[in-house]
Amino acid sequence: MVRAQVSMVMVLDKCIGCHTCSITCKHVWTNREGQEYAWWNNVETRPGVGYPKTWEDQDKYGGGWVLENGKLKLRLEVMKKRDPPKITDYYQPYDYDYEALFTDQLQDKQPVANPINAYTGEPMDIKWSPNWDDDLAGANIYGRMDPNWRTLEKEIYFNFKNTFMFYLPRICNHCLNPACLAACPRKAIYKRPEDGIVLIDQKRCRGYRFCTIACPYKKVYYNWKTGRSEKCILCYPRVETGQPTVCTLSCVGKIRYMGVVLYDEEKVLEAASAPEQDLVRVQREIILDPFDPDVIRQAKADGVPENFIKAAQESPVYYMFKKWEIALPLHPEFRTLPMVFYVPPLNPVITALDARGKYTADYDTLIPTIDKLRIPIKYLANMFAAGNEEEVRKALKRLIAIREFFRLVEVEGKSKAEAAYVLEQNGLNLEDADKMYRWLALGRNRWIIPTRKVELRMKLPKKASGR
Amino acid sequence: MKRSWMAGLIAVLVVAAVSTGLGVILATSQAAEIAVPYIQGSLPMDPDAQLWGQLDKAQIPLTAQLIVYPLSLDTKARTLSVTAAHNGTHLAIYIEWSDDSKDVEGAPGDLYSFGDAIAVQFPVNTGAMPYICMGDTANPVNIVFWRAGKGVENLVAGSAYGQKPGQREALGLQSTATSPIEKLPPEAQIWKAEAKYENGSWKLVLIRPMGSTDPMVPSLKPGESISVAFARWEGSLHERGGSKTTSGWYTLKLEGVAAPAPAPTQTVTTTTTTTSTTTVEVIPPAIKGAVVGLIAALAITIIALIVFVARKKALTT
Ligand code: SF4
Ligand code: SF4
Repeated sequence: MVRAQVSMVMVLDKCIGCHTCSITCKHVWTNREGQEYAWWNNVETRPGVGYPKTWEDQDKYGGGWVLENGKLKLRLEVMKKRDPPKITDYYQPYDYDYEALFTDQLQDKQPVANPINAYTGEPMDIKWSPNWDDDLAGANIYGRMDPNWRTLEKEIYFNFKNTFMFYLPRICNHCLNPACLAACPRKAIYKRPEDGIVLIDQKRCRGYRFCTIACPYKKVYYNWKTGRSEKCILCYPRVETGQPTVCTLSCVGKIRYMGVVLYDEEKVLEAASAPEQDLVRVQREIILDPFDPDVIRQAKADGVPENFIKAAQESPVYYMFKKWEIALPLHPEFRTLPMVFYVPPLNPVITALDARGKYTADYDTLIPTIDKLRIPIKYLANMFAAGNEEEVRKALKRLIAIREFFRLVEVEGKSKAEAAYVLEQNGLNLEDADKMYRWLALGRNRWIIPTRKVELRMKLPKKASGR
Repeated sequence: MKRSWMAGLIAVLVVAAVSTGLGVILATSQAAEIAVPYIQGSLPMDPDAQLWGQLDKAQIPLTAQLIVYPLSLDTKARTLSVTAAHNGTHLAIYIEWSDDSKDVEGAPGDLYSFGDAIAVQFPVNTGAMPYICMGDTANPVNIVFWRAGKGVENLVAGSAYGQKPGQREALGLQSTATSPIEKLPPEAQIWKAEAKYENGSWKLVLIRPMGSTDPMVPSLKPGESISVAFARWEGSLHERGGSKTTSGWYTLKLEGVAAPAPAPTQTVTTTTTTTSTTTVEVIPPAIKGAVVGLIAALAITIIALIVFVARKKALTT
């Protein structure tokens, strides 16, 4: 059975950590009582603990799936875990006493809007907040608590010359094998067959909070006011009309790309049960080639509309995840088959001044040795490939190849044909280079989203495109 | 007198122990009665009202739900003390249980707590004794659900699955086989609840008007009986959903209004537990003589038997 999924790629190189995405999302969807603490979109600083604190530590939170004798089981069932995260795992929401700016008595110093507890209105000391790691440049404290260090000798990365950081924006991954959905005894969570968006039916939900435990990304948020759980809805009212999510639209770094991928529904469970080393590869395999006539025929037979198939052929997600293999899923070892992908950050090569006072860097032909990059490959592999370093190397090499190609053309004045060997060495061609340049560098057509409604389809341009 | 009281207690304990030991819900093999005396005047909402202390209580054993996900993780035996009364227009159910911790949910920013909770289940068709685990399509159940900090809700389970989507829509229902329970519309929210936690125990009063206009909520009449079952969730163990303890079916026997209203102190409430092999009487100490109790118990057993046989006949014809 061929199904369509609207999904996203985030290119981490370009994220500037401005949190515009989080703020936009907050104002559109969660600026309400009961969701004060909830950030359907949040941006984390890595190395760091993230939000909620150390959410990747499933021994603590019990999220995702485990493979037991070849069978997938919810970790919360294996652990017999019944307790959801506490508010202190997120943070105590606060506001500022802006009134004081207008009502304070005349005095020598400037009036201050002091922080107040969002629930009680009482003055409070802020001890933690989402991305606290970054706000107080606290990586030297919290960075060590990052679960992705695992097998790494982390201490050397806290030496001044070896340090690194990058931002990690996160939303619900609208997984193909969602643990949140599986854990709900009320069957209140469903994955829309037409576009794969995972939603919680607010009428059916009775606030049991199994989903808040089961989601390994901690992307379901219990609303204490309504007594029901809520999550990112991938801005479905916008997506249905061919518009991108608000986080995508407002993204300052233009890091977010949205598009359709076609996948083989029958293979989902098999892919989710693959050995850890193979998880990324197998997830790629179930994404289908939208140009393959057999796939097109089957998609049509399974009710995928024509405009979805067309969108899948132009989809940046298809190209970046499946064709070029430069995008990777976040923590595939949780086995939910997350459908938001990340292009891992390229980062400077560690250089040193040589005897002549010049910077040197090791080069492996023209491509710098990947393992000399500042961010340890293992760290990225733990985050994006269940520890499989080869997947990360492949992605980074291709990103460097495309830069090298354009450097040869633009700086060294070589013709494209002359420079093409850098691409070919890394399994790319001139056409790929052109597409990559348009998408990654110029940021054109960052979303290609088919409209859902026939009546809207007639009124809107066939292809809604990015700026 | 003392000996018969002891025997009764032991028998109840044996029943409780057996049902707990089995770890399953004793369903239709149990047919115990909870007498619902007629009281003149208004029924007190206050859990501390004198009346609730005066009425005799049935001891309802509860066992862990171990059939469907999410299972109960606690298999210790639990008991509810239950009594009820009606005044011709309203029915009140009083439930008392001991609980070391008061668990209330819904405080601002509290994502972690689960309130202590109670459910009382009735058949939608008063004459029926539906499948004990929240009914089925043929015989749905009406459930009043109370959770500390959240209040009371009137629910229906099993009503809509098996029906075509169109029919479900027409009835305004949405349940499915895998998820049978749903909240009734606002006009069917007829229960009021008041609870109090003191000295290690909860006291809960649930009151509803006897009549109902909603087809999913049974109407009750003085002089008639209706099946009833109970469930309890322990908040400190984070019990919710299927993670709960439940009872088998009991019978609420509503006293007729025509009968002279007995003063509460003179009410003789006898709970009779009948299993397939034994008949056990629990005679409360308030009874003046063992003979009176025995006669009353026998009379009620006979009436129950007659009702049971009559109902069975009615069902088979
Ligand atoms: S990220 Fe979490 S909430 Fe979103 S679909 Fe996956 S398991 Fe569910
Ligand atoms: S708006 Fe874009 S650039 Fe800014 S933090 Fe969010 S993802 Fe990063």
